[in-house]
Amino acid sequence: MATDATDTEVIRFIDKFKEICVAPGGKEYPVIGLKAVRLIARESGISTREVESAALEQGVIPRRYLRNMGTIGREGQVKLLRSVVGVIGAGGLGGTIIELLARQGIGHIIIIDHDRFAEEDLNRQLMSTEGYLGEYKAMVAARRVKKINSATNAVPLVEKITKENAHELLKDAQVVVDGLDNLPSRFLVEEACRNLGIPFVHGTIAGFSGQLMTIFPEDEGLRSIYGPPGELPERGIEVGAGNPSATPTMIAAWQVQEVIKIITGIGKPLRNRLLILDAREGTAEEIKLRSEVLPKDARENAD
Amino acid sequence: MASITVKFYAFWRAYLGLDTLSLEAADVGQVMAQVEEKFGAQLRAKLQALGIQADQEIQDYCLLLLNGHNVSRQSLRQIKLRGGDVLHIFPLAAGG
Repeated sequence: MATDATDTEVIRFIDKFKEICVAPGGKEYPVIGLKAVRLIARESGISTREVESAALEQGVIPRRYLRNMGTIGREGQVKLLRSVVGVIGAGGLGGTIIELLARQGIGHIIIIDHDRFAEEDLNRQLMSTEGYLGEYKAMVAARRVKKINSATNAVPLVEKITKENAHELLKDAQVVVDGLDNLPSRFLVEEACRNLGIPFVHGTIAGFSGQLMTIFPEDEGLRSIYGPPGELPERGIEVGAGNPSATPTMIAAWQVQEVIKIITGIGKPLRNRLLILDAREGTAEEIKLRSEVLPKDARENAD
Repeated sequence: MASITVKFYAFWRAYLGLDTLSLEAADVGQVMAQVEEKFGAQLRAKLQALGIQADQEIQDYCLLLLNGHNVSRQSLRQIKLRGGDVLHIFPLAAGG
């Protein structure tokens, strides 16, 4: 952490390097560029994230976040830079989730994935390239985050999430995002998030369709969609239907919007509402979920 | 007997070429029996074409929500229907 003396020095630097930028709409913003942020970080011995935070607090917008201002504003950006988001899985959903979180300016991303890239991943997993085949997805994703946004601190954890380690791996997160590929893991992560008192942004895909929902600790959550854990098979029709290139990104993009909304407090999270996007049919539908699993005595005896 | 609406989603919709269906039934079990009779063979053939071992009743590959309440597949006959109920039927998707 910066001391008061470096604080003063950082503020002086920011003041010195700030410029005025006119946004396309005509609004003027005091801004600071990446070169200046790096220079201040180096001179003051603090991270670029700390420089960006200090600038935002002074009302100076790092240029890289300028196009975020119209939606989340300076205060929203400060909250994001201070936030910790856990992403479980760095494959189809996870790859895009991580990419967008870094661009949006999340301060810390915990990336959990025990798998390595294979050729079959290349059609849809954003972090995979021919050159990265055989490499651990979490490590590749963390390196990519650094290239996109050096202010984002990415922590790769090459581990399989289990009932035993979930609490420990997720305890620092403020929000957890679902990039998993099977139902039992989703139920155990939901349980860990519930115990930790943090929201979980659930998403799944198969073929041209996908669905998502945000689950707060007090919500009924996955049971309201899938019933009790253990009643359904581990995997769904995606084992045959596969996933074309754009489906993971379609759902991941919505999941990231949910994360931003949760952290900034802006908008209306998709709680107790299952959003189903079907690219093949060109439809987006919402099903309002009700908490209890049927049958209930009330329903059986009602008529 | 109650007049209800069945809504299909995702793959079921694509395969059946229809998104809603109106039918008469007394309980969810009867709905699924009608769905099985009308579409079971067709859907199983589609699943098998994708390499999915599909030799059970179609309800075993479905998630069911009655007016937004999850329906346990073990108790379909116990859930009596009322006029205007909407049963959402979608295939299980767990990819990521």
